[in-house]
Amino acid sequence: MTTTLEHTAVAEESQGGGLARYQNAGTAVAGGVLFAFLFWLIARKTMDPTGEAFNDQVTTILGCGWIIGFWFGIGAFNGPMRWLLGRDHSRADDLYYAGHNQGRARYWKYTTDHKVVGVQYIIVTMGLLGVGGLLAMAIRTELIMPGNHFVNQQVYNAFISLHGMIMILALIVAIAGPWANFVMPIMIGARDMAFPRLNALSLWTLVSAASLLVAVAAVGGLTMGWVVLAPITDQNGVGMDLFALTIVVFAVSSTVGGVNVVCTILTMRTKGMTLERVPIFVWGAITTSALALYAFPFFFLVEVLQLLDRNVATSFFVSGGGGTGWLQANLFWLMGHPEVYVILTPAVAACFEIAAVMARKPVFSYRTAVAAMVGLSGLSILVWAHHMFTSGWAPTLGGPFMVTTEIISIPTGLFFLVLIGTLWRGHIWMKLPTIWMFGFIANFIIGGITGIYLSDIPIDNQLHGTMFVTAHFHYIFVGSVLFGAVAALAFWFPKVTGRFLDEFLGRISFWLVFIGVQVTFLAMFASGLKGMPRRVSSYSVIFDHTNLITTIGAYIIMSGMLVLLGAIIKSWGHGEPSGPNPWHANSLEWMVPTPPPLENFDVMPVITEDPYNFREEMVRS
Amino acid sequence: MNGSKSLGIALASVLLGGGALALAGFALASDTPHQAALNCVRTSATACSLQLSTYPDSLEGAHGKTGGAHPTWVTYANDNLVVPENTTINVTIHQYDGGGSLNDPFFDQVMGTIGGTMVYNGKTVSHVDPNNIGHTFTLRNIPGNGKTLFVSVPLPADYRNPTITIGTGQYPKPNIIKFSFKTGGPGTYEWNCEYPCGDARVSSGFGYAMSSFGYMSGTLTVK
Amino acid sequence: MTDSDNDKTSLKSFFWLWGILTIVGVVLGLYGPSHLMPKSMSPNMHLTILTMVIFTVAAAPVAAGVYAATIYVLRNWTHKGDEPPPPAKPVRENGIIVATWVSISVLLTLFLLIWGLGALAEDNASASSNPLIVNVIAQQWVWTFQYPGTHVESNSLYLPEGREVEFHVSSDDVTHGFWIVQMGVQVDANPGVITTIHTTPNVLGTFDVRCEQFCGLNHAFMDALGDVVTPQQFSTWLAAQPQRT
Repeated sequence: MTTTLEHTAVAEESQGGGLARYQNAGTAVAGGVLFAFLFWLIARKTMDPTGEAFNDQVTTILGCGWIIGFWFGIGAFNGPMRWLLGRDHSRADDLYYAGHNQGRARYWKYTTDHKVVGVQYIIVTMGLLGVGGLLAMAIRTELIMPGNHFVNQQVYNAFISLHGMIMILALIVAIAGPWANFVMPIMIGARDMAFPRLNALSLWTLVSAASLLVAVAAVGGLTMGWVVLAPITDQNGVGMDLFALTIVVFAVSSTVGGVNVVCTILTMRTKGMTLERVPIFVWGAITTSALALYAFPFFFLVEVLQLLDRNVATSFFVSGGGGTGWLQANLFWLMGHPEVYVILTPAVAACFEIAAVMARKPVFSYRTAVAAMVGLSGLSILVWAHHMFTSGWAPTLGGPFMVTTEIISIPTGLFFLVLIGTLWRGHIWMKLPTIWMFGFIANFIIGGITGIYLSDIPIDNQLHGTMFVTAHFHYIFVGSVLFGAVAALAFWFPKVTGRFLDEFLGRISFWLVFIGVQVTFLAMFASGLKGMPRRVSSYSVIFDHTNLITTIGAYIIMSGMLVLLGAIIKSWGHGEPSGPNPWHANSLEWMVPTPPPLENFDVMPVITEDPYNFREEMVRS
Repeated sequence: MNGSKSLGIALASVLLGGGALALAGFALASDTPHQAALNCVRTSATACSLQLSTYPDSLEGAHGKTGGAHPTWVTYANDNLVVPENTTINVTIHQYDGGGSLNDPFFDQVMGTIGGTMVYNGKTVSHVDPNNIGHTFTLRNIPGNGKTLFVSVPLPADYRNPTITIGTGQYPKPNIIKFSFKTGGPGTYEWNCEYPCGDARVSSGFGYAMSSFGYMSGTLTVK
Repeated sequence: MTDSDNDKTSLKSFFWLWGILTIVGVVLGLYGPSHLMPKSMSPNMHLTILTMVIFTVAAAPVAAGVYAATIYVLRNWTHKGDEPPPPAKPVRENGIIVATWVSISVLLTLFLLIWGLGALAEDNASASSNPLIVNVIAQQWVWTFQYPGTHVESNSLYLPEGREVEFHVSSDDVTHGFWIVQMGVQVDANPGVITTIHTTPNVLGTFDVRCEQFCGLNHAFMDALGDVVTPQQFSTWLAAQPQRT
């Protein structure tokens, strides 16, 4: 009935692609370096070398050169250019861009196939987590005892800033990146994303930004903490310019990605796939993307203003120049709090999905789950000033923001209701994804309840700025989001590779990371309660025991993550074959072959019910 | 699945990762060397002397003959001071740099030295003009450690013409500041300058040399 | 699986577990915060610790319920092996459970809000019309304290016992965080702005001032010592300080 594009266009395939045939990550880097060099030359000639901002201007322009050159090199401008010249993509070109018959090379190109983009996101996430994790270990090594021993305070400050920013980027894309791209379009019965080229753009802008972030270390680093609040950023060297540029480009990446996910879910669902029949993970993907569309423009704005302040002596954030650091703090947290839920929601949604499939039981109260995710996202845009309770800005708003913040505990509580309701009297298949999902539940309750303390101003007046806050959000980010991310990885790994993620190594890894998280962050709560401030390279001897325990715990987490890395590498090539539907699930991603073919479906499916009606006859070997 | 093989891979991953971490750590640590220790020279059983200098650039002192990465930054020539415990430390500072007004005039006082005074070019004083400061030497106590060691000495600015050649740089005749303080038990303390000499764009003069370790800041180790 | 797991009596062990874990949580709540947190030297800190205790005790049954349910699920309804277990009896909706859960969380949140807003009002209430004013000046990386009307400036903070103190906090350079650890009060020190907090020291002894807002290179070392003394000792100390003009 339906003929796929693949069949009709196969004859002209050899002519497709055009310039893209010669473009890949290598030409992207070459283009980036070339443009950076050219822009650097131009900047040296055109900017006033005696000006105070000369170094900033040169660095900013050089950074822009890298970005633009990288985009040219990877092929991001090919499509728009050809459209402009009246030579829009032919079918064969589209097929080439989708990576048809290109083997592994397509993973290094501007490939539009959503499954390739999903895998690329897995690799990018793992790379970012690796760098951020090494920085975390360096931080904990420095904090093993009082005094500066491993590194001095300047290097330490650079470590915490980069650790923070890299981990935030990694977690924003950790679940939504791979799975809202790889499985979500198949789940809703789409041949690809709504805008396949924007999908590739979103991934490669992220790569161009992340590489700039690593380059920050090479130009003197960022030593001001990842929140980079004015006016202290003024004291940072040119690393701050590259950092701000990174964020600007990252905001573009997440906006492009967010638009794509929202449009795909709203417009690309197959026949019969009503919004109440989509797998629950799809709801997680759309709420997180919609929230990102609201939140990241603030991030974009705040860093553009920051760049202007630094490069052309505007004074948006300069007190005395008509601006104020509080403006920046507000803009930053208008992004900063929704961003937490951008990170968290996909983890929760993935856990709902896993709980239902592995318990062989429908999601308990699907509508409650949807309401909780949507409600949480909506509320999260009204709570930003709780980060500023102790800043002295608008003390009268303390009460109202305390109210909105504490109301968030209601939708958060519903997550537990849905999870436990789904598992209750289920027939729970204890495989790797299930185990990590249980880890999520156990850690999320601690992370959630400690958040309630911090939303209370009399308590925040003591615990704000202490290790208690650090421990709280690490219980959320490591204890919950990372566990959700690994659960999702273990769950959908067979669909990507056709193989199971190694069960034995995965379980070793689980226990190491789970125990490590408790040791590390419970001890960190104790440090914070005793009064240890955050972001310090050294501390009073009264905090020495709890810090030593935290450092030991951090090393346990690292061992666990390395075992997980070993498991991923081993299983990707040599894991136990899984077949197309290893978990005997009903949703569409398990109905297509593994690996899913280009454009996913030969015949577009028609949906008559949601995917949670598990039946006896499905259980087959 | 072969359990022992998996275990082997797990162990190998841990070892490889640990090795990578150690290498990264060493690379980073060696990138920011703590300068060679400047030891207090013992002059008697209960006293020793320590000589420091503050330069308007980094050509002289521990940043190397070419001035290292930032030859134009102001610097104390040494950032790693080592003194004995329970001893009187007689410090002499040669101040070669110009200056201006303190952000907080509080630091025009001599604090924490023996007698609460210092000798400035031969004269004993307890405070100086807050609008004519080159640098300060401010050694802080670290609360919670049960040890108290707070010393803050203003170093008046020097506007004389450069007449002295040291290494590759030309400097004025220095202001000579002498003061003494007593150390207690062993421990490491932090010191830095509290005069905004680090040139930042707008905020406060605490950027660049002031915000980078080893120029206008360092440690004092009591052994 | 047998039908026995649908038997209501088997929930007994769940309730036992819930009860025991709740007691553990309550004990942790009663002893943890007061044991770990610095000794209280002001009504604000007393209120902070009390609120910590109350919130922990209130949260204990919730966390215990989730843990008990999770453990109960893990004990009773898990399957091992490479073959998936048969489908479980589907339960898609249960309006009563959802309504109960929402009602309980709304009530708990209301309780937290009422307590929290009350505590906030108490925290902000000014006890005295004639507080001692102390100007707090932050500079990278030292705190100094001025006592208006006396020309005294010190780098350690002396306060008289029993009198309300109002801190006028500002910064000479970047943003710092003024925090009296044992008194449970914090406010940022911003350049060009004066922010205020107040508290009443009510215990004699030393305390710590720390910077809780990242402020650059030596942020870790930006501490100051403080001492709460009797009003007589305070006057004596103030008179003995060098007068600055």
